[in-house]
Amino acid sequence: MLRTVKPKTARSKRALQAREPKEVEDPRTAIFVKGTHAGEKVNAVMKELMALKRPNAISFSKKNAVRPFEDASSLEFWSQKNDASMFVVGQSTKKRPHGMTFVRMYDYRVLDMCEVGVDDWKSMAAFKTPKATPGHKPLLHFASELFDSHPRFVQLKSMLMDFFNGEVIDGIHLAGIEHVISISLGPTPPTLNATSTLQASTSAEDPTSLPKVHIRSYTIRLLKSGTRIPRVELTPMGPSLDLTLRRHTDADPEMWKQAMRRPKLRKQEVEQGLGKKRKNKEVDEMGDLRGRIHVGKQDLGRLQTRKMKGLKKGRDSMFVDDDDDEGLGESGGDSDDDGQRWKRVRAE
Amino acid sequence: MDVSDILAAHDAKQKAVTVEKDVPLEIDAGFLTVTDLNPVDREGYEADREEYLMSTARDGAQALVAALFALPTTSSPDGPLAQLPTPTTQLPRAKPLPKPKPPTKWEQFAKAKGIQHKRRDKKVWDEEKQEWVNRWGWKGANKDKEVQWLTEVPANADVDYDPAKAARDDRKARVAKNEKQHQQNLARAAQVNGAGSSSGAPADRKKHIDRTLAVTRTSTASMGKYDRTLEGEKKLKGVKRKFDPTEISAANEKSRDLAIISKLDKEPSTKKAKKSSDSSGDVLNVRRAIRSASKGKGSAALAREAGGGKGKKGKR
Repeated sequence: MLRTVKPKTARSKRALQAREPKEVEDPRTAIFVKGTHAGEKVNAVMKELMALKRPNAISFSKKNAVRPFEDASSLEFWSQKNDASMFVVGQSTKKRPHGMTFVRMYDYRVLDMCEVGVDDWKSMAAFKTPKATPGHKPLLHFASELFDSHPRFVQLKSMLMDFFNGEVIDGIHLAGIEHVISISLGPTPPTLNATSTLQASTSAEDPTSLPKVHIRSYTIRLLKSGTRIPRVELTPMGPSLDLTLRRHTDADPEMWKQAMRRPKLRKQEVEQGLGKKRKNKEVDEMGDLRGRIHVGKQDLGRLQTRKMKGLKKGRDSMFVDDDDDEGLGESGGDSDDDGQRWKRVRAE
Repeated sequence: MDVSDILAAHDAKQKAVTVEKDVPLEIDAGFLTVTDLNPVDREGYEADREEYLMSTARDGAQALVAALFALPTTSSPDGPLAQLPTPTTQLPRAKPLPKPKPPTKWEQFAKAKGIQHKRRDKKVWDEEKQEWVNRWGWKGANKDKEVQWLTEVPANADVDYDPAKAARDDRKARVAKNEKQHQQNLARAAQVNGAGSSSGAPADRKKHIDRTLAVTRTSTASMGKYDRTLEGEKKLKGVKRKFDPTEISAANEKSRDLAIISKLDKEPSTKKAKKSSDSSGDVLNVRRAIRSASKGKGSAALAREAGGGKGKKGKR
């Protein structure tokens, strides 16, 4: 637990306020951590993921002895310190080579985790194609029936949605749609067919039976189709990853229940920016959005030039010192202190 | 007129932008997400994996783009903005819901009385200066009385009555009162949130103070028997002195007496040694006894008092 600080300046107060819980949350910030040994492959894959996640990504450049499935205390500490609610921990061991663990936090505590192994990957640089602008929101595409039925893949979908796109926005610039991230699975093995989904949760202990996860990202070209809706063409952009599912922990049911609580938003609030505080903006009777901006009155006559005691004015006439009466007692002979004399002249 | 050509052309156009699937695609426009719940086609996957993945992704993206382009738009300086609906997928929150701020005492009162919140402008119109001035703060209107050159003085005022100072004191008192109320509101809010421990409810606090007072009153050497009592102070109830039993086993008595005797023939110890003997504890602490007997004045004062008559002691 970090010590709680009382803000001393307005700036630090704002910084702390930005960390306070909000009704409609900001996107999750992800921290990319290397374990005791990450290896070239995992390092590169994490770099690629970070390129997609930017600007809501923090990179820890040093190695850390962190084992998320055994002890999550470091993660909790980092989460609070950096105000981040997601982790990607890269770790490569003999038993589990090229592993990446996605960790999701709630209230600076670990909510759930999902480990994947990187089988194959191709960098963004390997594709000589145009890339999407950083900061643009991707479209997400999930392809397999298991994303609806199998608990492991339901969790993976939720995790990846939170990772790539977990922000509630009220509008999007249609011309700004530049890329799509597609998460598809390999063919469903017969053991996991829709008829046997009930067994699936029990027999899911053997991760080798689960199909592979393919993450691909493509840039979108919107072509004219003659109708209002354009025709979509895709170009591979990279990175492309082939992953296998490994260990996981589900969320504690009580914590999950708390995390799934929704705020009660009034309709008016939904219309005016979804619970986010909007200062100095209002809609007038005509339905126009009116904003107020603060532009200070600029008066060059009052421009602050050189600061000298003798040039002070205005403020002094307001305040009469408590010991003013003794100043009045003297018969005005002190010419050494101009400020004092000025004040007295005004006060008399 | 034959429109079949036109219709066919239109159909072809539509075909390019519509996606037909066995299971219709699930679109969550709020999160810009599309889910394709059709089972993966093993043949297509194994024949050319990249091509297969790209074609399914294209179908999904096409369906999603169609849904996005069908949304109502608003204009913005950068171009049309599609207004997204609220997401249908539920993702867990990163932080708990914000707690509502507990009402201040005034807010509670105003609510009970049905008083509407009225917003006061920070500026007030000054008739004399013919300009807007701050209600408080720099050049604030609440300091008018302190700076005006002529002030009416009440008939019964003192000789040294300073109207400016009186006005200033009043203002400062109001500020202090407000600050005090603010602190009390904060304490109350902290208590509601369960954070406050030392400053609990008034009843709790009173109990706490009484308890502390009782402990201090009985923590003198005489258990408060010779303490000066304040006016209106009640006698403390339930204070019991604990005495050693009158009869103890001979061995115990012997060892206790021997402990005292062994102390007697020792030379005066150094400060350090004294400290360690303090901690051992079971025998008389001379230093403390002198201090308590002389009421903190020291042995010299005690000797003087004993020699110089019964002055103070007699009064007791």
